[in-house]
Amino acid sequence: MARQTTGFGRRAVLGGAAALPMLRPTWASAAETVRFVVAEYSNATGPYFEQMAQEFHQANPGIDVKIEVVNWNVLLQTLQTDISGGTAPDLSIIGTRWLLDFVKDGVAEPMDTYMTPDFKQRFVPIFLQPGSIGGKIYGLPIAASARAMFYNKAIMTRAGFPNGPTTWDDVVAAARKIKGTGSYGFGLQGKEIETDVYWYYALWSYGGELVNSQGKAAFDGPAGVQALTLYKMLVEQGLTESGVTSYNREDLQNLFKQGRLGMVITAPFLIGQIAKESPNLQYGIVPVPRGTTQSTYAVTDSIVMLKSSRVKQAAFKFLEFIFSKQPRVLFNKNEGFLPTTRADAEDPYFADDPRLKVFIDLMPHAHFAPVIAGWEDVAQDVINSLQSVYLGNTQPEAALKRAAGQADQVL
Amino acid sequence: MVSAGQASEQGQPAALPRILPPFLRPARHGLPPLLLVLPSLLLATAIVVYPFFVIVRLSLSNVSPFGQLRGFVGWANYAAVLADPIFYGALWRTLIWTAAVVGGTVLISMPVALVLQQEFYGRAIARIVIMLPWALSLAMAAILWEWSFNADYGMINGVLRNLGLSSGAIHWMARADTAFPVEIGVGILVSIPFTATIFQGGLSSMPTEIYEAARVDGASGVQQFRYLTLPLLKPFIQIAIVLNVIYVFNSFPIIWVMTHGGPDNSTHILVTYAYELAFGLGRPGPAAAISVLMLAIVLAFTMVYLHLQREPT
Repeated sequence: MARQTTGFGRRAVLGGAAALPMLRPTWASAAETVRFVVAEYSNATGPYFEQMAQEFHQANPGIDVKIEVVNWNVLLQTLQTDISGGTAPDLSIIGTRWLLDFVKDGVAEPMDTYMTPDFKQRFVPIFLQPGSIGGKIYGLPIAASARAMFYNKAIMTRAGFPNGPTTWDDVVAAARKIKGTGSYGFGLQGKEIETDVYWYYALWSYGGELVNSQGKAAFDGPAGVQALTLYKMLVEQGLTESGVTSYNREDLQNLFKQGRLGMVITAPFLIGQIAKESPNLQYGIVPVPRGTTQSTYAVTDSIVMLKSSRVKQAAFKFLEFIFSKQPRVLFNKNEGFLPTTRADAEDPYFADDPRLKVFIDLMPHAHFAPVIAGWEDVAQDVINSLQSVYLGNTQPEAALKRAAGQADQVL
Repeated sequence: MVSAGQASEQGQPAALPRILPPFLRPARHGLPPLLLVLPSLLLATAIVVYPFFVIVRLSLSNVSPFGQLRGFVGWANYAAVLADPIFYGALWRTLIWTAAVVGGTVLISMPVALVLQQEFYGRAIARIVIMLPWALSLAMAAILWEWSFNADYGMINGVLRNLGLSSGAIHWMARADTAFPVEIGVGILVSIPFTATIFQGGLSSMPTEIYEAARVDGASGVQQFRYLTLPLLKPFIQIAIVLNVIYVFNSFPIIWVMTHGGPDNSTHILVTYAYELAFGLGRPGPAAAISVLMLAIVLAFTMVYLHLQREPT
């Protein structure tokens, strides 16, 4: 066992070396270089942005865009290290839920002064909302997705729901029929990123809220307890896959692609993965099951401009290009995301696809993750409590009270 | 050495050695000793002392998720850590993890080294096979084992099913009761090459005559091991224990790759918990405090252990 990594040593060394690049002279007038950190959504992400940088450079020979592709799992850490070390990029894709921390630390630049009214008009309004903090726009929606339920047609037809479930009662009834046939009924995510979100689906469908108007935890209310009691019952009666706490989002999607899972709630990018990896799978997409109301979870990722950038005009010029119609359509087709600008929403690829339409139609019922400092902490507390319920160690109400108590220390 | 010594005796002015303090005196060497160790001292300063200074400063500051210092907070980070029940769970688990992995490694490496010391056909290959896992990065080894223990398509469940030992899929990583022992097992496996190599080095440095003498006196194999091999091997066992404790205590990849410290924080050890605090939850301050505490624990262990070992002689 000869290796150790705490991360701190590395960070400190990088911090020490970081002063050097600042000594380099700036050639701002001759040719500007815009450094753009992009998150890797798929194998197509890097080539796509390289191609965009090239096309942009041909139209604007004075500006070079340098693309740096970073894996999602280390993206925040990479940015933290670069920003604290003084080598921050000019633009970066980030998870919108990190944005508040960026704004609080004063590392993100508000973009309102760069945006013409015409540019602002390009966006679907609901997707601009998560990137605005205190009335200023700090993040532009590069990627958006909502969630819906995928169901396996063969399995669900045998279970008596050929058109998929519409309510949680349908889900339970179908899963009872599927149990013991060698397939799993309802796929329940039990570990890693978004394990909490998987429970919010049910919570919101029973009319619950995550935080109240005072900014305190509200997920331990009746809707939350009802949702978690439902999930606990599903686990205990064997209506989910077994060993719930060893399945992350990708594991569940893999089960579904293999045709071994009846129902799973996830994002539209599963459509593209199924087309590539198991094109013969017969499946349908329906809205997230109803409890007392219709709901879904919507997520955006944002492009932010870093305050430390010395080429802000050039960087924004590149953003104007990225958020024009052709680049947007190509990006969303590659990655399987929803349109965030009006122009690409009207493209026949999105407007006429019945599967994507399910997601787009759910948008009016969409909930976003709360924009609250420390939300990442709260999500982790919630995940721990959910796991302890799925493992049968704690009762739903007690577990949620515990998580809410911890959350209120942060919120 | 000899020629350099002669050269300095002839070339140096006679007065100089008396003016300089002893450690700078050229004496019989061509260069002052301090000058010779200076490069490694500088390197150690850059690699060890500077980060140590940074981490202590972080642990006493309010640090933003982006590593910006928002001011001095004294012991607040330490107080927060010491009031955190997950910290104590991780601390206790770190002790179990370290004791189990190091103990298991030493127990298994000993017979492995003894066997490899015997003459047999294909010994060279066997030695290489034992050494090979060392060439694999820990993270890669952990990923391989994570796949092997996967409930749905893993090799382990497949073998158990084929042998008729289990009917359903065992979800190894779903609960700490199974996940943590599996992680300890992987920890032992990847530590064996290093430890067995130390023991082999010790065994091959032993004189063969004493074994011949012992055989003449009628000592059995067990007696030879108990009264000759073990005492002679003692310094090697000690160094293997100290080095392994330091490595294993700080070992991050296996647990992080296989369970991320979950479910419900039930497989965290201190180093994975510190990482999660710093980079998952954006709290570098308390994470730095844990790192400093970890350093203190390892230092204390090493000092106590070395002291205990010195006493008898």
